[in-house]
Amino acid sequence: MTIALEATALTKTYGSVRALDDFSLSIPAGGVFGVLGPNGAGKSTLFRIALGLVRPTSGSARLFGAPAGDITALRKVGAMIETPRYPPYLSARDALSMLALESGAKNADIGGWLERVGLSDAADRPTNGFSVGMKQRLGLAAAFFTKPELVILDEPTSGMDPAGIQEIRALIVDLAKREGVTVILASHQLDEVKRVCDRVAILSKGKIAAEGAVDALTASQARLRLVATPVAQVLALLGDKGKADGDDAVLADIPRGETPALIKALVEAGVEITEARWRDADLEGVYLKTLDQTGAI
Amino acid sequence: MLVDAISAERFRLLRDRSTLFWGFAFAPLVGFFLSVGGDLFLRNVIKRPMPGATVDLAGQVLKALSGGASTFSALFLMIGAAAILAGDYRWETWRLLTPRNTRPNLLGAKLIVVGEAILWNLVLTVILSLAAAVIGAGISGKTIIGSANGVGLGQIAGAFVVTWLEAMTLASLAACVAVVSRSTMGVVVVCLGARFVQSILSSVLGAMAPETWKTFAIPAYCADLLRAFVSAPFHGGLQSGTAGVALLVLLAWAAALTAGAIVLFQRQDLTRE
Repeated sequence: MTIALEATALTKTYGSVRALDDFSLSIPAGGVFGVLGPNGAGKSTLFRIALGLVRPTSGSARLFGAPAGDITALRKVGAMIETPRYPPYLSARDALSMLALESGAKNADIGGWLERVGLSDAADRPTNGFSVGMKQRLGLAAAFFTKPELVILDEPTSGMDPAGIQEIRALIVDLAKREGVTVILASHQLDEVKRVCDRVAILSKGKIAAEGAVDALTASQARLRLVATPVAQVLALLGDKGKADGDDAVLADIPRGETPALIKALVEAGVEITEARWRDADLEGVYLKTLDQTGAI
Repeated sequence: MLVDAISAERFRLLRDRSTLFWGFAFAPLVGFFLSVGGDLFLRNVIKRPMPGATVDLAGQVLKALSGGASTFSALFLMIGAAAILAGDYRWETWRLLTPRNTRPNLLGAKLIVVGEAILWNLVLTVILSLAAAVIGAGISGKTIIGSANGVGLGQIAGAFVVTWLEAMTLASLAACVAVVSRSTMGVVVVCLGARFVQSILSSVLGAMAPETWKTFAIPAYCADLLRAFVSAPFHGGLQSGTAGVALLVLLAWAAALTAGAIVLFQRQDLTRE
């Protein structure tokens, strides 16, 4: 299996701040990988190290097996880090032409990409008049237009309107699935991550707090929801594994295998059970719980 | 790879009309208009022509070239160099470029394009000084001669190369300052200050014979000396060994400052450009 991005014991400090702290992560090629975390969790620092913009204090990062910053590996990568900026005197078309020259990609389909991100009409306007959303769209074109094998996107839809978000989300999924591009995506929009990512890593305080397939992560924090009376008796039986969910239900944090034993115990205790159903946690719940466990919130 | 970076940098500069005009065209244009304006002023206001019956074209060109890296010209050249060398810090655009080429190539390409722009600036200086001389001759009714002192194309080419090299030592310093200060204003202020101090030291120390290593350490002094060697009759009375040392000093300054800028840039964290 090809590893697109691998971080090993990566540490980066800025003065007394540890942006990354003995951080290790391996992202396989293929699919869309989400990187989640609050501001300051280390997402942008990880990306900047991978792209050779920043040197790690210790540890190493590798892109397709080559050290981070190696230009041969970097030429397989497209990236958009934070809100993209451009020399203000360049038009959108000129900005892409300049980047194509810089990459040695003289046959890049600049017009086609400007059309794909919805900037055909503004292609020859200077970028200093662009809205944040337009700059994001141009940044996406800049990340994808040299046909990279890996694309790193940091908040790709921030500043965009809902229609634009949907459009770009579809584009990312399309590229990942049809053209086999590996996408690493950092976003605060959990809904977006859930819709487009196959796997996610949750970062907190410069470390990995949780990592895995989206389905597995949400399933791992599934709860048994019991609609039963009296609720107080159920809560008493469950102790700290139970939590009230409204007036007539309880969420039980137990392993799936213990379900029959719990139901038997409740019935024997005279509890009337109307409904018992396993409910997966949503990504937001997983995210918030993970951050809570690490003390980040 | 370096070729790609140079193409991209050249493409950018050609679209940055403001930098092209103020950095690399303004000073020669000012020289041209001042020269023609001066001739018109003498003829129409003072009503007396400049002394002499002839206009020496080669002499005019050499004079213009010796001022090509003067403090006045350096101010505008450094405005242009700063826009090229420190622009990506100002616009926070290194993040777009560094993943696409190596850092030595990126900075090297910028310096090469600054060198090209300085070269075109000097070509413009030569053309406009010739034009001003011809127009001035027409205004004051003087005869145009090719060269009064037997100065040929070889001498002019020599002076051209020396002035370009002198400007490139400043451009190399600009590259170092751009990386360290991450500021276009920083580049202009430091390089202009360096050029100004060099002018003063050059004239003070240059007047003290014999020359010491201290006088030779000043690029502007070495450039003046070299220009005199290549363009003055009988090499301005200079030994070729002295001129050789001056040439080596200029080359060493340019090479050392360029290498320093590249090493610093190679190790620089681009957290916020």
